[in-house]
Amino acid sequence: MKKILALMLTGAMCLSLVACGGNSAGSTDNSNTDSGSAAQESADTPAAPAADSSNTEAAADSSASGSATEVELWHYFDASNDKEAIIEWVDEYNTLQNDIHITATYVSREELMNQYTIGALSGELPDIGMVDSPDMASYISLGVFEDITAELNAWGELDKFYPGPLSSCMDSDGNLYGLPQNSNCLALACNMDLLKAAGYDHMPTNVDEFQEMAAATTDTANGVYGFAMCCISTEEGTFQIIPWLRSNYNGAGVNVDNLTADSAVHGLGVLGDLISSGSMSKESVNWTQSDAFNQFVAGKAAMCEVGTWHLAMTGDINGAFEYDFCLLPTGSTGTSTSTIGGENFGICTGADNKAACVDFLKWLCSKEKEGEWAVTAGKIPTRSDSVANYDYEQDGFAVFVDEMNYAQARGPHPEWPTIGEAIYTAAQAVFVDGTDPADALSKAMETIAPIVAETPLP
Amino acid sequence: MKGKQLSIDKRKRREAYGFILPAFLYMLLVLGYPLIYNVFLSFKNVNVKNLTKGGSVFVGLQNYIELFQNDTFLLVIKNTFVFTIACLIFQFTIGFAFAIFFYQKFRLSGPIRGMVLVSYMMPMAVTGLLGKNIFSNLGLINNLLSKIGITGPEWLVNTSTALIAVIIMNCWVGIPFNMLLLISGLTSISGEVYESASIDGANWGQRFVFITLPMMKGSMLAVLMLGFIYTFRAFDLMYIMTAGGPLNSTDVLGTYSYMLSFTQFQFSKGSAVAMVLFVCLFIVGLFYLHLLSKEDD
Repeated sequence: MKKILALMLTGAMCLSLVACGGNSAGSTDNSNTDSGSAAQESADTPAAPAADSSNTEAAADSSASGSATEVELWHYFDASNDKEAIIEWVDEYNTLQNDIHITATYVSREELMNQYTIGALSGELPDIGMVDSPDMASYISLGVFEDITAELNAWGELDKFYPGPLSSCMDSDGNLYGLPQNSNCLALACNMDLLKAAGYDHMPTNVDEFQEMAAATTDTANGVYGFAMCCISTEEGTFQIIPWLRSNYNGAGVNVDNLTADSAVHGLGVLGDLISSGSMSKESVNWTQSDAFNQFVAGKAAMCEVGTWHLAMTGDINGAFEYDFCLLPTGSTGTSTSTIGGENFGICTGADNKAACVDFLKWLCSKEKEGEWAVTAGKIPTRSDSVANYDYEQDGFAVFVDEMNYAQARGPHPEWPTIGEAIYTAAQAVFVDGTDPADALSKAMETIAPIVAETPLP
Repeated sequence: MKGKQLSIDKRKRREAYGFILPAFLYMLLVLGYPLIYNVFLSFKNVNVKNLTKGGSVFVGLQNYIELFQNDTFLLVIKNTFVFTIACLIFQFTIGFAFAIFFYQKFRLSGPIRGMVLVSYMMPMAVTGLLGKNIFSNLGLINNLLSKIGITGPEWLVNTSTALIAVIIMNCWVGIPFNMLLLISGLTSISGEVYESASIDGANWGQRFVFITLPMMKGSMLAVLMLGFIYTFRAFDLMYIMTAGGPLNSTDVLGTYSYMLSFTQFQFSKGSAVAMVLFVCLFIVGLFYLHLLSKEDD
């Protein structure tokens, strides 16, 4: 009898274990109207282990009504300015109306991307999700985001968005799955003190002058390099390498589907020469964009490839030296190339409250809010009718706004991650192994060519 | 009488199976299902275009054939074995030396042993970030080397030294783990055995070779097997220190599988890499069980 009882208890224990797991997995109930418990639930779900509950609570506390439609938003804003801004904005939206209550949850970028992939199969997705613009095409293809073309067309403001950022929210048929919330691109930051010490009173205007200046400002004894950039083996590296491959040198520039062209080989060769001559640290293959910018801030790099968002971080220089920004001198005089970056917000598949999600997106990407966000986060609006009244680094922003004219989006292409990997691998082969740029890019094209042959780049 | 005995045996066996059943079901659900799913996935062509839309087809061994024809994958396999074997050798020998050292009764033995454990208690992400800084061109290691007139290598930048740097950091974490397990093995050896050996005239070396090593066989085997499994499936350290680079020189099966599945969305190829990882560990596990059963015999 005792044995039977023990057996039953063991079975019950195992069942309870399984049942606990099941409850937890299924506890994301976005239709829950109790906003106070919604935040707790989101923290309980296995899909949000990396969620920063403090952020979640901050947003959830602002619940204005117990009958509001709950909308779960996941983001990866983690810079000091934008991580606070998203909480404040969600709070603002929640107090502006009583029908929708947004709960913003921070999930680290890596974890969020993993959750999208897993969620594509399991259905465990937030209602609204943030995604890096070049990745969105892949997640659209994976079925992570919902088609909201009809809702956005009815809005009547799509023509106000810049075509580049907006195209990153589309599939190959032109259907829309979200909206671009912010935009950025790359330009060159210069330490004017180091340039002056090397005998230059201006910033480089073409690639030849840039190479010359990088060599002249390199001071190996003091660990100062002429140029710093990020060439890490992730999408960040691809983002920074692409402008050099697309360089307009001697009147010709190409897209990433033709990397064996002379201009692309020359562009990669320039970077390779900087490494081999010691004007750029080999460590750039392990540097993130933040690491490269830190080198510039520390006075260890005379020039640095920086993003628009770095303008909100120039305070770190703290008057240590005079600095300025110019177009990325990747080619001949009067030309420049850059890459468009930015973040999109999409409505996730299976969101119970699609209409509420679209309403929030329309507010987040409205003319006024786009301008405000650009100032807060150091970004560029994605709408042509938005005005960003930058009250800091106005000259710097003017350079980045001008650079947008020469910037190109990555993709959109569902297999962009594979294309991106081929690009940074080619660059690293040149930097680390001293491979000939033409050979390295030919090898990259072996991967890229069949992909773009099947689905061409736009 | 015999029939009654048989019926009791049968009932007992049924009860025994009943006790095993919950654990079996749990294993089937938590381990069996993902494993079988992964096997199926590795024989299909699931990618970014057909994961949710459907249309993936059975491709047999094509993923495996393509992988073994791919230079990067062969490099990844080599890296994984070099990393695992090098880590095992250094972790085990240094860990054993530490275990013997700290097994001695001397003042401050306890506090120092505790300090050695700090690296083991540290999260791998922190260890990875530390490693990234320590082995940077102007980091601690090269700074120390420059003080004695040696120009240190570009540890994390060169394809020939990046893996060495990752191995050193992993050993830093693994040595205390080995030490802990081996110390517990040492404490299980009765002091009387050493005492009688000393009376018989055995010196330190003889006591080590003829008493310590044979009596530690079980512990050593367990440490080596656990160490192999733990090291072979390494992921976080290289992911943070080098992101698998430069040029895949620190990519191991774990990071490569992750990259294929979660960065490039080549799910079937990622699953095939995970299966290779599983098969390697499964063989090691079987070998361990074989040795254990031999020891029991």
